This record gives sequence, C-alpha cells and structure tokens, in this order.
Amino acid sequence: MTKIGTDEWVAQVGERTEAYRGLTAPVRRTWDGIPLGWRFAAAMLLVALLPVATDSSYVVRVGVNAFLFGLLALGLNVVVGYAGLLDLGYIAFYGFGAYTYALLSSDQIGVHLPAELTLIVVVALTAGLGYVLGLPSRRLLGDYLAIVTLFFGQVFVQLAIHLDRLSLPWADGPVNVTGGPNGIVGIDPIRLVGVTFSSVTDYFYLLLVAFVALAVGLHRLTASRTGRAWRALREDPLAAEQMGLPVNRLKLLAFAVGGAVAGFAGAVFAAVQVGVFPQNFETLLLIMIYAAVILGGAGSLPGVAIGAAVIAVFPEVLRTPDYARLIFYGVVLGGLVALLRPWSRLAAVLAGTVVLGFVVRFATAAAWPDAAAVAPGGLVARALGAWVATPPNATTVGNVAFVLLVPAVLAVTRLRGPARTWALPTVLYLAAFVWETRLVAEPSVTRQLVLGAILVVMMTARPQGLLGTPRVEML
Amino acid sequence: MEFFVQQLVNGLTLGSVYALIALGYSMVYGILKLLNFAHGEVYMVGAFIGYGVLTMAGGAADPVLPAAVLVPLMFLAAMIGSGLLGVAIERFAYRPLRDAPRIAPLISAVGVSFFLQAAALLLFTARIRNYDTPELIPFSVGVEVGPLRISLVRILVIVTAVVLMVALTLLVSRTRLGKAMRATAYDREAAAMMGIDTDRVIAATFFIGSVLAGAAGVMIGLVFSRVFHFMGFLAGLKGFTAAVVGGIGNIPGAMVGGLLIGLAEAYAAAYLSSRFSELVVFTILIGVMLVRPSGLFGTPALQKV
Amino acid sequence: MMTTPRNVRGRFFVLVLAVLALAAAGCGGEDDATTGDTGAATATTDAATTAAETPETPTEPTAGAEETTTGPTTEAEDTGDGQAAPADCDGLLVGIAGPFTGDAASIGQEQLNWARFALERFNADNGTNFALVEADTQLDPAQATTVAQQFVSNGDILAVVGPAGSQEAEAVGPIFEPDNLAYIGMSATRTSLTGGDYPTFFRVVPNDDAQGPTDATYMVDELGAQNVFIIDDQTSYSTGLADIVQPLLEEAGVTVTRDSVPQDQTDFSALVSRISDDTDIVFLPWQLAASAQLFSQQMEEQGKTATIFGSDGLFSPDDFSAEGAYVSSFAPDITALPEQAELVEAYTEQYGEFGTFGPPTYAATQVALTAVLAACEAGDVSREAVLEQVGDVTITDSILGAPLTFDANGDVEGAQFYIFRIEGGEYVLVE
Repeated sequence: MTKIGTDEWVAQVGERTEAYRGLTAPVRRTWDGIPLGWRFAAAMLLVALLPVATDSSYVVRVGVNAFLFGLLALGLNVVVGYAGLLDLGYIAFYGFGAYTYALLSSDQIGVHLPAELTLIVVVALTAGLGYVLGLPSRRLLGDYLAIVTLFFGQVFVQLAIHLDRLSLPWADGPVNVTGGPNGIVGIDPIRLVGVTFSSVTDYFYLLLVAFVALAVGLHRLTASRTGRAWRALREDPLAAEQMGLPVNRLKLLAFAVGGAVAGFAGAVFAAVQVGVFPQNFETLLLIMIYAAVILGGAGSLPGVAIGAAVIAVFPEVLRTPDYARLIFYGVVLGGLVALLRPWSRLAAVLAGTVVLGFVVRFATAAAWPDAAAVAPGGLVARALGAWVATPPNATTVGNVAFVLLVPAVLAVTRLRGPARTWALPTVLYLAAFVWETRLVAEPSVTRQLVLGAILVVMMTARPQGLLGTPRVEML
Repeated sequence: MEFFVQQLVNGLTLGSVYALIALGYSMVYGILKLLNFAHGEVYMVGAFIGYGVLTMAGGAADPVLPAAVLVPLMFLAAMIGSGLLGVAIERFAYRPLRDAPRIAPLISAVGVSFFLQAAALLLFTARIRNYDTPELIPFSVGVEVGPLRISLVRILVIVTAVVLMVALTLLVSRTRLGKAMRATAYDREAAAMMGIDTDRVIAATFFIGSVLAGAAGVMIGLVFSRVFHFMGFLAGLKGFTAAVVGGIGNIPGAMVGGLLIGLAEAYAAAYLSSRFSELVVFTILIGVMLVRPSGLFGTPALQKV
Repeated sequence: MMTTPRNVRGRFFVLVLAVLALAAAGCGGEDDATTGDTGAATATTDAATTAAETPETPTEPTAGAEETTTGPTTEAEDTGDGQAAPADCDGLLVGIAGPFTGDAASIGQEQLNWARFALERFNADNGTNFALVEADTQLDPAQATTVAQQFVSNGDILAVVGPAGSQEAEAVGPIFEPDNLAYIGMSATRTSLTGGDYPTFFRVVPNDDAQGPTDATYMVDELGAQNVFIIDDQTSYSTGLADIVQPLLEEAGVTVTRDSVPQDQTDFSALVSRISDDTDIVFLPWQLAASAQLFSQQMEEQGKTATIFGSDGLFSPDDFSAEGAYVSSFAPDITALPEQAELVEAYTEQYGEFGTFGPPTYAATQVALTAVLAACEAGDVSREAVLEQVGDVTITDSILGAPLTFDANGDVEGAQFYIFRIEGGEYVLVE
C-alpha cells in the first residue's frame, strides 16, 4: 500500500509501528534491533553447519544449488536492482563462464590450466563480455534493452549447440569447440593452492565463502559512491545525467560486475557438474533467477538472498509428494487463518469443510465402494483417505474436478462477506478432493502446477517482493 | 524463381500465425507497458480447444459435420475460449499488480504460464496430438499456378489472418471501443479522468489479443498438425520477436513484424540452412534493434522529465 | 486494520488448534520420511504405508542405522546393515528419472507410464512390494545431477532407471559411481557411454554403433541409395547417429547432404522444398514421431517423392504412418507378437497408446526390479550386490523380443536391428 502524499520516511516509520502490533511484536522488535551484520553472520553460521547436521549429500547438493542461485541473483541484482537495467541475457554470462572453464580444464581442446588462473581468466572474460554486451544499453532504453539482451541469451545457446563443427580457414576439418548437443564432459575439479575440491561438501564451503565475500562486498558497494550513483541512475536516468553522473560508464560497469559474478558462478557450476551442456542454460533458468531477485525484493541484499534460497529449495521440497501435500494443506490453512476474521467465521469454515467431507464420503459410499483404499504416505494421508472420497476412475473424475476447481478458487477470491463464508467449505473440499484423487498420482506435474500458482499468489500478494520496499516508478 | 515463390507462400503462412500472436503482445504492451509472457500459453489453449471440437465432431477422418462447418466452428470455439482465458489472466494475475514495479508482472506471467502448461499436461497428457488435417482437407486440394502448388489449408490460413487483421484495424480505428483503447494506451490516467472505464478497456484489449492467439492456435493445428502442452513457449517467443521487430505497441508494426520473421525463417532455411535459421532470425532482430532502437514502426521512447 | 485483543486471542486459539492437529497428523508423515528418507511417498503400492506403520521394527533394513550415520560414507554402513539384518525385501525402492514435464514430456511421460506398469506387474507376479521414486529432470543435466544426488542419499534406493538423455547419463555417472548405484538407461544411446567411463551404467537399447551401420547398409544395398539427405534434430541422440551414418554412406559413394532442425520446429516446408528431385532417401534420425509425420505431410503437400528412412526414435505406429517409409528398430513390433499381446492390451487399456520409448523402459524397470529381488533373496541388500545382479540378469521373454542380458560393458548382448516398411499404416518387417 503506497501512501501517496506521505513522506517516504514517515511512511516507513508508520509501517514499522503498525508491524509491531500483535502477538509476535516483541520478537520482531528484538530481531529488528540486531544489526544487519550480526544477523547475516548468524544466518551464515547456521547454514555452514548444514553439511555437519545432515548425512544426506542431496541436502548439501541443494545447498550448493541455492548458493549458485544466490551468486547469480546477487549479480543480477546489481544490474536490475541497483542500476535498474532489465538484462534478459544474463544467462549467457553464466553459460560463457561455465564453457570457458570447461574448455580450459578438460580434454576438449587439451588444455588444463591451474584453477587459480582459470578462475581469473573466466572472471575477466565474462566481465569483458558484460561490458561489450552492455554497449547497446547506451542507446536502448527500458524494455527495448530487455528484448535485445534476451536474444543475446538465445544466441548463446544456439552457438553452444552449433559450434561443434566450426570450419576454420587454417584447420583441416571442422573444429569441435563446444561439443554441440553433447556438451563437454570430464571437467577437472577446482584445485586452489593445493586443495582439491572433490565432494559436494567441499563445493558447498567454497560457495559459502564466495557468497559471503560477495554479499559483504556488494553491501559495501551499495553505500559507496558508485552504489549511490547506480541508485540515482535507477530512479531517474535523465536527472542522473543532468547531475553530471557518467551514466554510460555506470551502466557498463553494472553489466561488467553482474557478468563477472555470473561467470564465476558458471565456472564453479561446471566443476560441480563435471560437465557443461547447452540444456543447462535455457531460458527457464533465467526466469528462475529473475524470480529469485523479484520474489526477494529487487535492490535488497537480504531479500535477494532469501529469494534465491526459496527458489532453489522450494521446487526440491515439492519433489517429494508427502512434503508437497504438507505444504499444500499448510498454505491453505495458513491463508485462511491470515485472511478470515473474526475467528468464529474461520472456525465455522473449517468445521463446515470437515463435515462436508464426511457427508460427501457417506453419500458416495454406495457408488464408490472401494473408496476406503488408503492413499500411501503416513498418518496425514490416512486421515485424508478416511475423509476424502476416492472414486474408482480417479483420472476422469479428478480432471473434471480440477477444471471446476480453478474457476471456483478464482471466483471465491472475488466474493466478500457471507457469500464467501458459505462458498468456502465447498471450494476447500473440492481442492482437497482434486489433490487426493488426481494430483497425488502425478507428482512431477503437480510440482510445476504448485510452483506456478505460488509465483502468482506471492507476486499479487506482495508486488514489491518479500523484503523489497515499495516505490513509485516513473514511466 | 518458383522455388523463391514457394518460399514466399511458406513464409507467409508461418508469418501470418506469428503476426496474430504478435498482435496480442503488442496490444497489451501498448496499453499497459506489460510484457505478457503467458500469451504463448493462451495460444496453446486455443489449439487444444480446436482439437477438442474436432475430436467431439468425430475426428478429422470421420467428421459428423462437413469441413466447411466444422472448421469455422473450431475457430469460433477456440477464439471465444482463449479470449475468456485472457480476460481471466488479466483479472487475476495482472490487475492486482497494475501499479507495482514493472518487473513484478513478469514473474506473475511466468507463474500463469507454468500453471497452464502443467494443467494441459495433467488434463490432456503429454502425447503430441495431431489434427490430421489432410484427412479433413486434403493437401492435394488447392491452387496450382504454373509449377507452384498452394494448398487450400494455406490459403485458408492466410485469408483468415488477413480478415482478422483488417477487422482489428477497423475496430481500433473506427469504433468507440477502439478510440477508448487508443486513449488508454496514450495516457491511462488522463483517459480515466475523461470518463473512460479503463479497467473495462484493458479487459477488452486482453480479450481481443487472446482471441487472435486462439485463432493462431487453430491455424497452427491445421497447417502443422502438432498440438502439445509446451507448444506455446517457442511460438510465444517468435510472436514476441515479431512484435518487437515491428515496434512493440504498434499494431501495423506487429503484422509486418510477424510476416518478416516468417519470411526470414523460410528463406534462411531454404537458402542457407535450417540449422542456422533461428540464429539468423535472432541476428536480424538484434541488428534491427541496434539500428532502429524502437523497432521498424515504433516511435522512439520519450522520457518524461 | 484494527484488531481487538479478544479477536486476536480467538484467532490464535484456532491457529494453535489447527497447527496441533496438523502436527499430530504430520508425525506419521515424518516417521515415513525418516524411514524412507524422502522417497517412500511416491510409492505406487502400499509399501510406504507399511513402512511408516513399523518405523521401529528392527527388521527394517536401513531405518535406525542410516539415520545415526553422520559421515559421508553411507554406503559402507549400508553394506554392513544389509549383511547384519536378515534379508527383508519390504519397501525397497527403485528410482526413475526422466523428462516428465517440459518440452520432452511426450517422451518422459510414456517412459513413466511404462515404468509404473512394469512395477505393478512385477509386484503382482512376485508378491513383492517394491516402489518407484519418480524424479523429473526436464532433460536438463543440472537437474539430473541433483536428482542423482537425491537417489544416492536415499539408502532404500538400490537401482535407478534412467535418466533419459545421453548427456544426462554422462552427467550423473560421477555421482552414481562412488556409491556403486546401478543405473539402467532406456533411451541413452551415445556409444561412448559404455566405453568404460561409466562402470555402473547399463542400457537395454543398443547403441548408435549398432544402429548406424545397419541403417547405412540397408540404404545402400537394399534401397540403392545414390543421394541421401540427412536431417538431424539437434539433440545428442540425433547428431550422434547422423555422425555415424554420414561417413558410412559417403564411403559407399553416396552423395550426402546434411542439415538440421531444432527438435521443436513445426514448419519444415522450407526445408522440404530443398529436397532436390534426385534425392532418393531422406534420413531422419529423430525422436519425435509426430514431427516426422508432419515432415512427411509437408513433403506430400509439395509433391516430393523421396523415401523417408527413420531411426528407432520414429518407431511409433500410432504417430508415424507415412506410406512407403522405412523405420529401423531395436525390437520387433511388439504389438504384432502374440506372446506380448496380453501385456500390450493391459497397458493400452490402462494408459492408452504408446510409441517407441515405452517398451525399453518396461524392460529397464524389469531389469532393475529383478536385480533388487535377486540381491534381496541372496541375503545381501546392498547397492554393490544389486550392481552385480544387474550385470548377471537374464530376462528370457523380454518385451524387446530377444532374451535380454548385458555384456561386460553394460550393453545389450547380441543387439540386433530390424527394419520395417510402412505399408497401409502397418509396419511390415523387411529385415
């Protein structure tokens, strides 16, 4: 809720005092009192304990993915969040970094440089590439820049696929540079000052250190002369130029910094995956990085870090149907608790849903005799199995119910007052029915469905991102 | 020479489909400055609705209705269905973000796009569906001009696209709604102050854009016979490219852009190698943008001070 | 928004109640998660439920010990565990990875359905209650490696079916190898995969080195090819096969033109017009039969008469029926085999039509489950044991026609290719 006409600072103070109401107020007030640096240190310390706390290399691997996302999101945040340049070709820097590392540390062209050197080369090259690809930003404004950079990203993937039979004037036959669709495999692990990073845990700590260094560096940069100049550029490029800021140089610098960070992340990724393939750098990944930055709140370092963690971890949690189910019912319940008031209405809706379930179950018992079949997956599932009717031809009935459910949910978000209270139990029951009959059977599809729905809900509920500050944009 | 003209026909068919998709992008952008990345999925849904009507009528091999009735029915159903879907997307995924930062609706659009893809996968499974058009309208039926063969399906697609584009141009330039759309695109706040119900105009814009995408979906089904849950992604990207080349926000620009991209792809595949046709298209695009930063027909972006 | 204290307390009360209810119910779920780590939930049988009911039973193969281990060397514990406990085949898992969503989902979903089908039949035939853990990779090697890590971390997963793509199989190799986790490919055909770099990899389909020469020889000797147009679809499978066929044809004095289209391309008309009149064969080493059908329709539209020759990816009578086209396949047409009729009918009734990717997945799943059962009956429920068993597996009446065994490299023994000609929509065996 932007309060037009109110001074931004006054509005923030107002929001904060509002935020301190309610039961969790003391906790939140204390938390906000701790300096940012301490909070960050504490969070990172906790994260550092992760590989010790679990024996599952999967959890650590998801942590590695989260850090890679974190690095990419921090780098993109410089371009998008600070300088306000919409760079949709960002994925190309990641890919370029990965391919450069792969070429310089594998048998592809028979070069095995020491990692210290390779990483420096990668960072320097991607920074240079960022500078070059940033050049159009001098002329192109806003969305047109976004569009041109989007195609830089596309061109990169095309080149990665097609540079496996490059005809060079001095070579005899076609030269295989990128390996084409087969990519490059057998990449050396990173070895720094005699320490070889071989396991997932090793890379976890390497990335942790890199992430902390980058976050601290960027935090300091934000407050520096350059950081302030970037923000001025973001808020109003024309005014910034009038104030004598070197606008073009600032834009190119943002591109170069963002590119260098992505290039470094790409090099580590190549070493972690022990290979690079064109499919690694498709538009979908770019979208997810953007989602991390925007969900967390563009421009806010802690926000972007949290956004990256959410984007890396959440889809993995959804892989396991049992967790997906807990999240589904948890989110529905949480949403109801947050939105329905007074509490008597909330209780009525929940009770109504439960009763409706048993009624439907009883009414369909004759038609669906084998409805007692228990869905696998523990007590929650068994409780649900006793409550939700399961038809024998689950696919068809479930599909029909799904088609009904989507408009029903959309409609209920528009209803107000008693009509909503009356409609809610039916919709809630329908949702549970769809989940248990159809979605449980297709975990991979459900995962994408839930991911999409959550993105829409989160963005519409909090357009500025989790920790972003709302600001009025000039068009 | 005949080879060249044959490519012209190929390029125009593909180009008219791209143009219809591009129009949806461009209209929405013109009015809201919003990149509607879920537009490709609307097109996908249109193709599925057309397939559904065809299947309900007994399939292409043994339809209960004559083709002359069935094909318009498929177009009608797909256009209305897609139009309503477009309005729903605007109402629930974009309207709450109307005054949010510019990039927020992008993520919302991506969410819609994931959701629709997964829903299609759930409801229709991943099998690639085939309209089997040759069974309905044999490719051998068509016009032969000298050595050149143009099948009836292609003529149908090109003519339908032209009719739709002419109708759209008339709508925008001659009707009250068109006037309101132009006013809203020019300055939404001022239009609202003049008594235009901008919310309704925006919904109408989404409806019209999505109707065109639905028609494009059926066209692709008829000519290229391949319908599946992921088809919207690439087509959306191409339509978007076309909109940008023509100057995003500009309606004639989107039409020209669509045809240009279609022709560029056809000629690149025919004379160079289809291996590089996408690369050629992207390079053309980047080239155009560097020379004319606002596209072929776009007006240079003015900065308000 | 003003909220009265009473109101707050009331809502808080409902919240606490709800959370308590969820937590109470959630305990079951968590127990489940600790026994099966993360995977048990995907169970398509009641295996997970029974496992969840008896989390403390000492006969559980991996439960307690697995959880208390903190070192990264879990596989050592696994072995000890398996030997110490009497063999108990309850709740053992097999992972399956494939592109279940995304642009290759038409392939992945067919594979998934056949794997589920294989599991149901195997459990019914052998009285076991094994289960599958499904993981979507979207054909992205990065996701495949994360999934591989998930499989490795779940001690109950003893073998893996998939992943689908050759590049994925390459990417996951270094993760599976240290844990001796066997993975059985159902569609990764790149020759180098069984060259020794990936010792835990097996595949039920012959590699490109087997198919390429068969196709090339047939084109030259039987069809008298003079001028061949090869179009790959820019995937690892397709370029690999095209790279093998092209030089073979050239050696035989055939004029070869080579081009490629992206796999998701739908408009081939420009490419089709480039097929010259003296081209007698168009070789399409593609994976999407629907695309090839489209290609043939567009050839017909432009009056091109060259013969289409497709690789095993196009063997799909429901999707690809271009009159007079040739298709090679690693298996006889199972829909025409009387001994498989019951199986085919049962599948079609439950899941609908299928193409070329399903049957090998059925075989791969069968191999994995057979090996797990054999290891378990031999009293050694460890990944090493299963790996050894996979190498020794013999499936006499394999869905792929011939008896299925692996050679030392993990390739199918005695791989043979069949060539079909499409006549009136029917696939007729010609070699």
